[in-house]
Amino acid sequence: MTQLSQPPLSLVGTASYLPETVRDNAFFGCTDTKNPMFKGSRTRHHVADGETAVQMIERAARRLGENLDLDFGRDVDVLLTNVSCLDQPFTGCGASVARVLGCKPRWIIDMQNTGCVSFVFMLDLARALIRSGARSALLCNVQNAGGRIFAHPENRARPQSAIPGDGCGVGYVVANDESPVRAIETLSHGEYADDMRVKSEDGEAWWAPRSGPLHIDFTQSRIGKIVSRGNQLVPKIVTKACAEAGISVSDIDVLVTNQPNKTFLRNWREALLMPEEKHVHTFEDHGNLFGAAMPISIEKAALQGTLTNGSTLAIGGFSHAGDYSGAAIVDWRGQSEHVQ
Amino acid sequence: MPSSVDINLIPNVHRFENCPKDEMNALAMDLTHAVYPHDQVYGKYCTLEEYIACPPEAVFEYLSDVHCLAEWTYSMRDFAPTEQDGLYVSLDKIGSATRIFTKVKSVPGAMTVDYHCAWDQGDALWMIYLMRVVPAQLVLNKPGSVVLWTNCKHPHYENNPFPDAAPEGRDLWVGDLWPFFYAGHHVEMQNLKSILEHRHASGEAIRPWVSK
Repeated sequence: MTQLSQPPLSLVGTASYLPETVRDNAFFGCTDTKNPMFKGSRTRHHVADGETAVQMIERAARRLGENLDLDFGRDVDVLLTNVSCLDQPFTGCGASVARVLGCKPRWIIDMQNTGCVSFVFMLDLARALIRSGARSALLCNVQNAGGRIFAHPENRARPQSAIPGDGCGVGYVVANDESPVRAIETLSHGEYADDMRVKSEDGEAWWAPRSGPLHIDFTQSRIGKIVSRGNQLVPKIVTKACAEAGISVSDIDVLVTNQPNKTFLRNWREALLMPEEKHVHTFEDHGNLFGAAMPISIEKAALQGTLTNGSTLAIGGFSHAGDYSGAAIVDWRGQSEHVQ
Repeated sequence: MPSSVDINLIPNVHRFENCPKDEMNALAMDLTHAVYPHDQVYGKYCTLEEYIACPPEAVFEYLSDVHCLAEWTYSMRDFAPTEQDGLYVSLDKIGSATRIFTKVKSVPGAMTVDYHCAWDQGDALWMIYLMRVVPAQLVLNKPGSVVLWTNCKHPHYENNPFPDAAPEGRDLWVGDLWPFFYAGHHVEMQNLKSILEHRHASGEAIRPWVSK
């Protein structure tokens, strides 16, 4: 018997919110579609000035609440958030989310780490808290660095700026076997922790008064190593989660990953011998959604009918420059296309 | 004589001058996969490399002597000289009664050893095994040798141009084995490594068939 059966954990649905503003490649001063850095992503959403992570979570959560008929005042024992660009330093946004949704969770945890793979780490944390007596958890991922950081006029021309897109994805898990999570695998890789840095041209720290905007720094010399480790981390941990679930990789019906760029998506699919149609992502339309990609792609897979009742869903990814990796296997019997 | 054309304008030439660093990075990412299909890696060429804890001079001396093939190859046996200078005939037991003809062409300075071979006949030696011994001190900063070994897929591997020379009743053609070349050559490379490392470590003669 796996420990998961006592008590069970089910991922029953996900929902998305995407900001209204859509940017095409021309916004970044690039009309040359041959440039490989722009290949793949046609558009991405950007948050509006003043639009907060709390508002984004509220909008996505309201949709999910309608789909699943949730009473937020009663049905959220655990509230987990991950936000790429915080509304406020120090405080996190979980308590504000609880206020706007009208819920009174026993646990509110604002996770600052595990970025692009935070959805898997949230599932793992929810499982631990459900074993400690919680009955349900709302998982909230916000990526809002596109509009807040990469749309800045001084940043737009950077090749990296066209890649991020903003969005919010939320998921709901409950302590029953309705749509069971069969395996969760997580790993930390501290040795890669310092390979991604937030920097500004003037060299000032992010909290210091600065003359220019922030950007993300993957130094040139590390790019080959980061690509190589990213190529390996995700297929490896998805394979590990399959073994834990007692299935083989070929049993996966739908694969959902984080979506840093087209190359990683291709490489993971190839390494897992996965046909393209089974790997559901939104990179062309939404760019790199960081941690929000997984719940948003799960929703897309369910809405378009790729993910149906009885599908084996694999979720896998890595964060930043490889500091965390994680994967989960779900026997999907959750929200499907009939919901919309 | 100066070139009449700017080489940066030649299609498919990527140089610092015509391909900025960002573009080169993106191209490199596109060309770097997590896995590569076997056929893509070994379909047209089959290249292997291995470290051997034995001095490069000894490895070169061993490989340059055609009789070494009777030891480290999986199935080449019973070498005998032919009437033609430097051309040897032996059996390739993987093809039952198949005769294989071999001429060794080695270059001491470059430490290259090429085996020009063919099944069944010795007039056209088209199966060519290209090997090079590199001092490991230079490339790995340690004593010993690195051996590089490449075969190219000559069109004759697809179709036997000398069917009449084959022994009666043999169904197999050497080219049918091309998909197993990496596997077979890997095993043989390990034979080479194991034999030479054993002899060097124990102080035995590298070529025991040569009388002192």
